[in-house]
Amino acid sequence: MKKVIVLISLGILGFYLIDIFLGIGFGVQHFTAGVKDLYLSNSKDTLKVSNVVTAIVVNFRGFDTLGEVTVLFLASTALGGILYKKRHHVGERSVLFPASRVVMSGAKLLFPSIVLLGAYVFIHGHLSPGGGFQGGTIIATGFLLMLLTYRNYSVSHNRLVYFESLAGILFVSIGLVGYFSKGSFLENVLPVGNMNELFSGGVIGIIYIAVGFKVAAELTGIIYTVLHEKD
Amino acid sequence: MEKYLNILNIAIYGSAVLLMLIGLYGALTKKSLIKIVLGLSILDSGVHLLMIAIGYLKDGTAPIFSPGNEDKMNIMVDPIPQALVLTAIVIGFGVTAVALSLVIRLYRHHNTLRIDEIKKLKW
Amino acid sequence: MVGSPVLFVAIPLLAAFIIPLTGMMWKNSVRVIPGLVLAFMFFLSISLMGYVNEHGTIVEVLAGWKPPIGINLVFSPFTGFLTTLMTFLGFIVWLYSYKFKRNVDFEPSMKYFMLLMLLVTGSVGIVLTGDIFNMFVFIEIVSISGYGLTSFYTRRDSAEAAFKFLFMGAIASTFLLIAIMIIYSQLGTLNIADIAEKMPMMDHKLKVLSLVFFILAIGVEAEIFPLNGWAPDVYTEAPGPIGAAFAGIVVKAAIYASVRLVYTMYDFSGAFDLFIIIGLITFIMAETTALRQDRLKRMLAYSSIGQMGLVMIAFGIGTKEGVYAALFLMFNHAIIKSLLFFSGSYLVFNKKNKYIKHVNGMGKYLPITSVLFTIGAFAIIGLPPFAGFWSKLAILTAAADNKMVVLIAVILIISILEAVYYLRVVNRIYFYDKKEKTEPKKPSLNALVAMISLGVIVLVIGFYPDLISGILDRAAADLLDKGNYIKDVLTLNK
Repeated sequence: MKKVIVLISLGILGFYLIDIFLGIGFGVQHFTAGVKDLYLSNSKDTLKVSNVVTAIVVNFRGFDTLGEVTVLFLASTALGGILYKKRHHVGERSVLFPASRVVMSGAKLLFPSIVLLGAYVFIHGHLSPGGGFQGGTIIATGFLLMLLTYRNYSVSHNRLVYFESLAGILFVSIGLVGYFSKGSFLENVLPVGNMNELFSGGVIGIIYIAVGFKVAAELTGIIYTVLHEKD
Repeated sequence: MEKYLNILNIAIYGSAVLLMLIGLYGALTKKSLIKIVLGLSILDSGVHLLMIAIGYLKDGTAPIFSPGNEDKMNIMVDPIPQALVLTAIVIGFGVTAVALSLVIRLYRHHNTLRIDEIKKLKW
Repeated sequence: MVGSPVLFVAIPLLAAFIIPLTGMMWKNSVRVIPGLVLAFMFFLSISLMGYVNEHGTIVEVLAGWKPPIGINLVFSPFTGFLTTLMTFLGFIVWLYSYKFKRNVDFEPSMKYFMLLMLLVTGSVGIVLTGDIFNMFVFIEIVSISGYGLTSFYTRRDSAEAAFKFLFMGAIASTFLLIAIMIIYSQLGTLNIADIAEKMPMMDHKLKVLSLVFFILAIGVEAEIFPLNGWAPDVYTEAPGPIGAAFAGIVVKAAIYASVRLVYTMYDFSGAFDLFIIIGLITFIMAETTALRQDRLKRMLAYSSIGQMGLVMIAFGIGTKEGVYAALFLMFNHAIIKSLLFFSGSYLVFNKKNKYIKHVNGMGKYLPITSVLFTIGAFAIIGLPPFAGFWSKLAILTAAADNKMVVLIAVILIISILEAVYYLRVVNRIYFYDKKEKTEPKKPSLNALVAMISLGVIVLVIGFYPDLISGILDRAAADLLDKGNYIKDVLTLNK
């Protein structure tokens, strides 16, 4: 009975969604006076950032990104609070299948290159596809690999907190520097440089590096907390 | 060409909406908490696909000014939905992480993942 | 000007990132810093309110890009009023819970105060922002800190309540994204003022459908009728002060969001009738359910939902008197419901199920708390010398001016129900004998100060409603002046 009701209401919802979006159409310009062209031209001329998505995420709508970083921070805080136990034993993890020697050496070999790839992705976020969130996630996968392979591999909790907090403080401080020197929060205070060079886009690169560190530390922290969960 | 675009139109939007419906169906009818969280994640992915699809432009290129491409502004796809999706994905990740931690807590309390055995979860 | 609206978001976030570091060195800082930040936010909003009254609305651009390119924050008499209310309540909640039970443990107390601070920040962000996607981000900040705070007590069934809330919240956020994308695909902008200006260009069908998706999404946080299944459980299982924070801060922010959509962004009047209908259903359902509850916090939760229904009705009337009544109701509800949650959680302190019968005879053991609860109960019913009377009077006159006789009748009848279940509790407090042997817990000094200051506000507003009516008047006029909002944001001389 419940399933029938759910199916009927889902059918109605699906009908309306299909109706709306087929009406909107695919691959056509829907509006004439939107902000898209303003973003494209300003990103090219004023900011000299070649990856427009990065320019939008970090500068035009940088306030969203600050909120987004806060959401991640909140998620890791809330997760720690939810899983908190009075006497928190950080013991050995329960591993179903111990890793073989091949996996162990392979993981050791791969780990530095994964971290390097992640760093590359967030440092070049304003030049090519990628950025702080993507790079941070890549680094966190490296830590996940190590944590899954070695039973006694551990990450210092305090060090994660340092990275997380300092990166967050850096982000907000850059915003406040913009506020106090130029009059608006997160405004670019550095020279923008030339298009398609590493040092272009002013503060965008610095903010994305901070975001990369923060995301990497947070995701590693979340993985670490959940992996040490025992009954 | 017109007909081809029409099929693509239905295929992209249809699959996005279908993903959303599958996710909602799973979240609303399944009995296992893990499956409910999975359903919510699938629902999220459907919405993200939908958002990306709205920004697409016919024969468009990625919104990146690579060298020698600086004047192709007119054929670039809309970068804003992509930026929004980036934000939405991260937020969806945060919600999923919190949901899974709640599932762990519930399992610790009741030793089961079936919602019909956890009395308080019935409405 | 002493500060600027962006500090409402920047300073708490900076503090949130600093707290884990200072917590390693000085353990008490995790409790003190959030309080300082909340007090700072309160004083900032008061000083900005003074500025706004003289010079008009402040529009702050972010990242140096004027709207519609960049995100902007709007501090007008209306949003400023809500900001002041929220930051004040946030500070009071912090003061009340400064010495709360489990907060003696370091880790949980750090998380509790950080989440509380960010809950207030997110709500203030929803109110101040002038961009719908930014609003979505802030709604998610509020939701996630809400999930964390709800499941704070590991012993209670709080994880179930939080999971219910999360389930509704996750589905709501996808609906919100769909609505935002429908609007973006048609108008190509995300700025509220820009959307409001371009709204006539949009297809009527899409307009209605996007509004439906918006209301479905925001209704979850605003506790409107079919979407409030999470609320009673969350109010019951969350720590007492968090119940007050939800009723006073989060719900107000969500109501603000829906009002901003209907009054400013959309331009068709059918939405006002929708507000009245939703509000009436919510009001009737919640108050009749509250009558049947046997747990104190659950009763308060349903009463809170009912009051929100009343606020929706008042906004739905749509005239200036209606908006005035709605704002007055919001103010009163925030203050009084927090007082009820604060004093109520001491009346049933340490009881497992928190039944209403546990308050029997508490008048002798906890005299001050009982008096404060009684003041709150009388005020929310709308008895004359208290603040609630004036707001009920305002909504009835607003309805009478528009010849809505049925509405007046319904509100009066339901108010009698409300009086019945509140007076039942007051009756138990004073005229029943205490049966349980457990010792009632005396409220600590900081909690007492928080409760008494709320009680004093209720009494003062009750005797001198003119103290606040000027502010409310300006706020109501500001909300109704849609053209001015668009002009303020889009023609920025900077």
